[in-house]
Amino acid sequence: MSLKLANIAKRFGAFTALHDINLRARPGEFLALLGPSGSGKTTLLRIIAGLEFPERGTVYYEGEDITQLSVAERRIGFVFQQYALFKHMTVAENVGFGLSVRPRRERPPRREIKARAQELLDLVQLGDLGRRLPAQLSGGQRQRVALARALAVDPKLLLLDEPFGALDAKVRKELRHWLREFHDRVGLTSIFVTHDQEEALEVADRVVVMSNGAIEQIGTPAEVYDNPVNAFVFDFVGESNCVPVVAADGRATFRGTPVAVDTAGLRGAGDLYFRPHAARIGSEGEAGLPATVALVRPREGRARVEAEIAGLADVIELDVAPDTAPAVGATVTIVPTRARLFPAREPDEAAA
Amino acid sequence: MAGTLAPSRTGRVVLMVLAFAFLALFIVAPLVAVFVEALSKGIATYGAALVEPDALSAIKLTLLVAAISVPLNVLFGLAASWAITKFDFPAKNLLITLIDLPFSVSPVVAGLIYVLLFGAQGWLGPWLEAHNVQIIFAVPGIVLATTFITFPFVARELIPLMEEQGRDDEEAAISLGASGWQAFRKVTLPNVRWALLYGVLLCNARAMGEFGAVSVVSGHIRGKTNTMPLHVEILYNEYNFAAAFAVASLLALLALATLALKSILEWRYGVHGKGHP
Repeated sequence: MSLKLANIAKRFGAFTALHDINLRARPGEFLALLGPSGSGKTTLLRIIAGLEFPERGTVYYEGEDITQLSVAERRIGFVFQQYALFKHMTVAENVGFGLSVRPRRERPPRREIKARAQELLDLVQLGDLGRRLPAQLSGGQRQRVALARALAVDPKLLLLDEPFGALDAKVRKELRHWLREFHDRVGLTSIFVTHDQEEALEVADRVVVMSNGAIEQIGTPAEVYDNPVNAFVFDFVGESNCVPVVAADGRATFRGTPVAVDTAGLRGAGDLYFRPHAARIGSEGEAGLPATVALVRPREGRARVEAEIAGLADVIELDVAPDTAPAVGATVTIVPTRARLFPAREPDEAAA
Repeated sequence: MAGTLAPSRTGRVVLMVLAFAFLALFIVAPLVAVFVEALSKGIATYGAALVEPDALSAIKLTLLVAAISVPLNVLFGLAASWAITKFDFPAKNLLITLIDLPFSVSPVVAGLIYVLLFGAQGWLGPWLEAHNVQIIFAVPGIVLATTFITFPFVARELIPLMEEQGRDDEEAAISLGASGWQAFRKVTLPNVRWALLYGVLLCNARAMGEFGAVSVVSGHIRGKTNTMPLHVEILYNEYNFAAAFAVASLLALLALATLALKSILEWRYGVHGKGHP
């Protein structure tokens, strides 16, 4: 099912929550809206749902303008962050709610509602828990009930607000895989909001990176991770190191030492970004970033080295093979192997 | 563990004794006195004081007034809390302040407002008189004054709870196709039912016990516009102590019953979390 957002803008009083959002979701796609809090991702999701209405812009669904339609008219499944299960109803009653509130003429008989609820509970692998109250379920189970409830009205589009936000780390990981698999099985178009880049990269077909009410980049997880379009995306989508450099004549230098990076025509002050795994400890006399090793910590199969560069506030993190880890206190040269150069951010912007 | 702030054992005992002595002196003793005085001339006098026509009329009027003003304030309280907590609109804070007005205004002033409005010398008095409608010194005035006084009880009980519960449940219901009314009836109302019951209880206790505002608008016509609290005062001023305390004991019983019900409700709340069983 195709969804298209054209020039969506939204303000809350003096605060601009969204400006000029353009986005398209392809049929069957699993899309992640990724951004820090306040980036407008939840507002955007609520506008797609019809729980919030944009100041400007149009929401198209299968080519049809649905901007003014209410949430009920849009036939959209919405899963709330805190699940919003009805506490006084059993799990089965929760799931059947969407059918039981239909106008009398369209309402299926009670027996059918029950059967449909059971079917959906089986689908989310909670077939035996229909008689429980939500309070008697674990967080992960509640999440799945909320999902089953949203599916009961046969939505064409499934929207999830921070679907794993309220769960502990282990359950979150399990549910992540489960949800991805579930999405493929039911074949819906789904959009979920998250502030966790790992979650977005792992689950989504495409990731929409947002900040300050605007889209920074849209791309597959590989695209946004390996080819971020700007410093914000580089920084937000994975672990990163940032070193101030000066670019001139197609070369970038850090305090006079050249660093290997494509300057892409940039001149003047720039920020050199590289990920911890995209740098190595240079050999004797090799050109690189001079640093002092402050800490070495073991990490699954690698060693994480934290090194300080004199005069820089942030430590440089890099991953090396455990047997090549330098000693704490050693002076080393860090050679970024795959780095990106972006124009230097304004100091206040960098602090934000 | 026990810091310097924690009182010693003797300190704790002294504090407890003080608290209980205070309660005994100011709460329990007067309550006991009411029943002792009421029964001082025997059970027969007690019974007679309650079934005497003026007393019966006062009891009936009190029940009637509560039966009108409590449902009105339940409706109003639900509507106001629903509007305030589930929707955003301008002047919302003004509405919240207005709901609190009866708490901050002296009941006597509240009564006077109605006299000023509807009394013979009042703004609407001549018109009412011309149309043969009597509000002041009649039942409608008493109902109005009582409704005004008890106006915040239900809303005040519901607003904080509904605020805390947020809008997710209603939004979920709406997104599943429920109408606004269905969302209210099937989701909001069950979510707040205990708080609502609690508010109704407090509202009712106050409606039956209100003196000041009702006293101003009632006119104290025996057998006609006397509620129970007013009747108690009249009997007392006539030195008919046993009868006064007999009627007062009914009000005291109402207070005790309210207290008991309130404790049960609080226990339910406490055990099962806020707002749901």
